[in-house]
Amino acid sequence: MRNSVLTQMPYNEILSALARDSGALTVLLITRQGTVLAAAGDTEYLNTTAMAALVAGMFSATREVARMVGEGQFSILLQQGERRHIHISLIGDQTMMVIVFEDQNRIGLIRLNARRAADKLAQALAGAAERTHAGEDLALPQFREYALNLIDRIFEP
Amino acid sequence: MPYIRYDTREIAFKVVYYGPGMSGKTTNLVHIHRTLRPEVRGELLTLNTDEERTLFFDFFPVELGEAEGYRVRFNLYTVPGQVYYEASRRLVLEGADGIVFVADSQASRLEENLQSYRMMLENLASFQIDPKSFPAVLQYNKRDCGGPLPVGTLEKTLGLNGIPVLEAVAVNGTGVMETIKRVTRMVIERFQI
Repeated sequence: MRNSVLTQMPYNEILSALARDSGALTVLLITRQGTVLAAAGDTEYLNTTAMAALVAGMFSATREVARMVGEGQFSILLQQGERRHIHISLIGDQTMMVIVFEDQNRIGLIRLNARRAADKLAQALAGAAERTHAGEDLALPQFREYALNLIDRIFEP
Repeated sequence: MPYIRYDTREIAFKVVYYGPGMSGKTTNLVHIHRTLRPEVRGELLTLNTDEERTLFFDFFPVELGEAEGYRVRFNLYTVPGQVYYEASRRLVLEGADGIVFVADSQASRLEENLQSYRMMLENLASFQIDPKSFPAVLQYNKRDCGGPLPVGTLEKTLGLNGIPVLEAVAVNGTGVMETIKRVTRMVIERFQI
């Protein structure tokens, strides 16, 4: 069983710069499994955990739709609303960047900055993937014992 | 495939409730959510059709606490049961670390149970997962129905040896917490880095 492992990420800085330069409301970096890796901008109004689960599901569904029409993948998804819009782009094959923005006229700027940030993020992610042994400090037998105790306590009928 | 972040010291596991339509997968999740203390559970997200059938998935995270300095989380999902949502089921199942198969104990639903289980095996195979070593439990739900399927029926027909079996009446919570406890324990016991 292979684990997804990420270490020492400068992602927050890249996302913050993106939010600032493009005037976006919120920027999230999420995994294909639906976990939030990093966030920037305003996240107070947003349930980021639920958002990540939903966007990951949405992107997986879109991948299947792409295959049905003979495409490997749609690399960008744009959701247009009345006041707020969402730009979602793939970073590599395991990660997605979600940008929430309000001014529709900024779509060009959003795209440009998203592309630039995507390159930096891809590099950071690739660097992180090489440092997969950082977790060797995790003592499995002890971890299992503690985790099993937590399970017994929390899932008490 | 648990998700591990060494920088922020977090480990997230994914458990999926699978089974035929109307077998009680969402009911299981709702009961767990209601039973857990508010500080350990996230918001329950449900994506239903107008008829309250699960369309895409139900989801909520459980924060277990810290083990060996790592925050441990279980993300619980259901899949939509109806046959025509096969594509959604496959997507939700991807990356699962453990499965609860929720079978409907009504004798008239035997075929749907079998069909759903076989589809699950096909999906797991497509993700290169060997079901024999994968953490999974079988829950016979709706044990309060008239003339329920005898426990052992599905195991015998499907050739399931050694799968943990639990009986439940999810609408009143019977067996629900025992089920989640059993599957999450299996996930942790088989967790490797």
